[in-house]
Amino acid sequence: MKTSENPYIPYLATIENAWYETGGERCIKTFKVVIDDKEVRENWNHCPGQSAMIGVLGVGESMISISASPTEGRFLRFSVMRMGKVTQALHQLDPGDKMTIRGPYGNGFPLEEWEGKHILTIGGGIGQAPLRPIIEYVKAKQDLYAGLTMIYGARTSGDLCFKDEFTEMSKCDDLSCHLTIDIEEEGWEHNVGFVPQMLLDLNPSPENKIAITCGPPIMIRFVLENLKKLGFADEQIYTTLENRMKCGIGKCGRCNVGNLYVCKDGPVFCYSVLKNVPEAFA
Amino acid sequence: MDLEQLRKTAAEVVAKDDVKYLIGWKKGTYGYRVSPVFIENEADTEDLIFSPLCTANLVTYLTLVEKPPLPRGQKPDTRKVALMVKGCDSRAVAQILVEKGIEREQIIVIGCPCPGVIDVNLLVAKYPEVAENTELKWSGEDFVLIRGGEEIPVKREEVLAEKCRLCRYPNPVVSDIMIGEPVKPWQTEEDTGVSELEGKNVAERWEYWEEQFARCIRCYSCRNVCPLCYCEDCILDRLNPTWINRAVNFSENTAFHIARAFHLAGRCVECGECERVCPVKIPLGRLNRKLAREVRDNYGFEPGLDPDGKPFQASYKPDDPEDFIL
Amino acid sequence: MSAMLLNKDKWPEFVGKLSGKVWVPKVEEGEAIRFGPLSGEESKLPEYCNTRVPPKEIVFPETETLYCFQADEHEMTAPEIDERKIIIGIRPCDARAMKIVEKLFRWDVDDPYYLKHRELVTLVGLACNAPGLNCFCTSVGGGPASTEGLDIIMFDLEDRYLLETITEKGEALLKEVEGLLEEAGQDVLAQKEKLIEAAENKISRSVDTEGIAEGLPGLWEDPLWKRVSASCLGCGTCTYLCPTCHCFDIQDETEGFEARRYRTWDSCMFEEYTRHASGHNPRPTRRERTRNRINHKYSYYVDKFDLIACVGCGRCINYCPVNIDIVEILRQVKEAL
Repeated sequence: MKTSENPYIPYLATIENAWYETGGERCIKTFKVVIDDKEVRENWNHCPGQSAMIGVLGVGESMISISASPTEGRFLRFSVMRMGKVTQALHQLDPGDKMTIRGPYGNGFPLEEWEGKHILTIGGGIGQAPLRPIIEYVKAKQDLYAGLTMIYGARTSGDLCFKDEFTEMSKCDDLSCHLTIDIEEEGWEHNVGFVPQMLLDLNPSPENKIAITCGPPIMIRFVLENLKKLGFADEQIYTTLENRMKCGIGKCGRCNVGNLYVCKDGPVFCYSVLKNVPEAFA
Repeated sequence: MDLEQLRKTAAEVVAKDDVKYLIGWKKGTYGYRVSPVFIENEADTEDLIFSPLCTANLVTYLTLVEKPPLPRGQKPDTRKVALMVKGCDSRAVAQILVEKGIEREQIIVIGCPCPGVIDVNLLVAKYPEVAENTELKWSGEDFVLIRGGEEIPVKREEVLAEKCRLCRYPNPVVSDIMIGEPVKPWQTEEDTGVSELEGKNVAERWEYWEEQFARCIRCYSCRNVCPLCYCEDCILDRLNPTWINRAVNFSENTAFHIARAFHLAGRCVECGECERVCPVKIPLGRLNRKLAREVRDNYGFEPGLDPDGKPFQASYKPDDPEDFIL
Repeated sequence: MSAMLLNKDKWPEFVGKLSGKVWVPKVEEGEAIRFGPLSGEESKLPEYCNTRVPPKEIVFPETETLYCFQADEHEMTAPEIDERKIIIGIRPCDARAMKIVEKLFRWDVDDPYYLKHRELVTLVGLACNAPGLNCFCTSVGGGPASTEGLDIIMFDLEDRYLLETITEKGEALLKEVEGLLEEAGQDVLAQKEKLIEAAENKISRSVDTEGIAEGLPGLWEDPLWKRVSASCLGCGTCTYLCPTCHCFDIQDETEGFEARRYRTWDSCMFEEYTRHASGHNPRPTRRERTRNRINHKYSYYVDKFDLIACVGCGRCINYCPVNIDIVEILRQVKEAL
């Protein structure tokens, strides 16, 4: 049976390139992968915000957000934090190795709905991974959007992902890139402080904006609070949720928050929906 | 047992500021069922009962306490926990104290001398259960069943739980408050369940356990109900590395049950809970009692008798038999 | 659809003639624990109210290989599912459960394993003459003679069975044993109606489900959850024995060069069920887990599929080691609304 008939059987993909974004015990490694089967590769369609089950045969699978935008080409990118059994095995993979892929899963960001608006992304740590494809997408279709503001922070400069891309970004006129780290560091030219505070300091007007935030739960909580303070309506705020997943297709039962399955109804949720789901920020 | 005395004592205990709750038994929702109850205020002590239907070992709740991360600034609740124990249950308290799994000052043990509880399956077979809540009381050597205003005498040997037939410690070995008079220990029976299996050869025994373990559905009720299965990180739940695969089949099931039996060797107090709760009726008591017998016969050791004693694995004696070493 | 009579004397012949593997309740340790293939020694169905392990395991095996592969290689092969099974004696609640769970396995993406098993089974139900103490099927849309999900329903009329076909599959099955059956007359059908009525009257427990699905989310922080979960041991008995519980885990297993990825029942009552790799657990205690179990059955499933994911079989009540009783929980929910 092929994946087309059996949603549990993954595609094979080859790692074209892999590099470390950050160091430490919970380091983050990015994989650029290409699906082996030509037909599948050419028919693969994902939108920013969607995820895929990537895995290593004999070890298992993990749901990881696709951090490449479809506008970048016929390849995928995954930024994986080393955490449990599967991500440890994934970290052992090098260019030329195979990984398995099922997907794309989930709903993705409603980027077409957002056309004409100014996009504000607010990320923290590994939370930048699902935001990266939005940034790439909007960069590729600049004339469709009113602008892009990116706020991104991490504990230290070493914990920031996609660093090389920011220097390039800051050169573009329509895009503004704001970086922050929690603790003062020698040689750091950008902001020092927590992401929610930086958001307040920048004081963006909610007019014609869409704010998307991803990061650690505690950061999300304060970012949401501050977005409300700045006058953002619930409908202007989006976030993504993550939960333990096994099947990715709404069967295995574990990823629900209230009556929503993160794998199918999410991972992207508008705050106007989420605020009524009691388990959402558990 | 004098229920008035029990409830009065319980009320005094829960009234204390430094007591979080008292764990006891109350009537269940139907038929012969009895359920554990957590009593926080004096008024609710009226619900407490102690009868031959109180089979559950409440000691498991001492170590089953969940410790979710507390909100910043909130201090953990360090008040004492009071609980009711039968003789067998009290041995679990003693054993956990030996292992320093709980601190003596953190618990108040209310000892209930126990003339023996029933096996609900035997009772149901003999006196079919009705929806309406039914009482069973001790009456001399035997029991009396009270339902619909009718009193039916029930012979002890017809419904007594297997663990009680083998019981040598009907009176609590650890207690702060004792309710009622100690009961006179009775003549214990031969553990035929274990002896029968010992009489079989290896192939027959393998066949026997193969049939039993193949049936296991891995619901882990035996582990969770066990007062001495309280490792914070059980090897069964570990996936990294995976010691025992989650696949349900004879091989993994056997690994699970053998691992559990060995972890309980010299620790199991023979309260019989694992066997009572098994939804597919695996006679786990036989397995654990066999290991308990080995420990008793070879090393003269019985767990859960002396709360100040040493654990079995840490109590080497120069004359311990060593013939198991090849 | 036809109504036929089978004399119990002809039972061995009846099961012998059917084309497909016949599964019946099997007695172990003196009780009907679960269904199993007919061994040929059975001259009749055993006495049972219901099996302890539900027959869901026939269409949703406790452990099922998703696909096999060789260690260090990448060729994945899914096992062929091709055995036709005839389940005789399944109770109406358990058949209804399969129909309910099928909704989920068909939702959006088809689950090929479940649907294949389901397609290959013929369900020959046995109506309940004597429902158990904790049966409450009539409160949740079923009944002792509910035909939902069944292909044939049998009624035990002491010395014979009345067999009524419900689907074409059932009709085809009866064709195979035509010679053993005789047409049922009006008197038998009247007798059947009486049996059903008598059985319904024997059901003593009930749940008033009105307003529960809509009301449950509003009780999120209600003290009742702490109360009803206080004695929970966190084992999987209630969920594993539940005919509608369908959650599973996926794991890999390697033995020598042979490896496979399989799925296996999992339980929302287990601590590690929702625990993230980081250690964070969105449902940190048994309170949240119990709340999820009840909400999933009585609210989320209703929301998604317009069906309560509980058939009132009473297993979770019968076998809970500490008398956690879903009927009582729902009574408290109702009271709190």
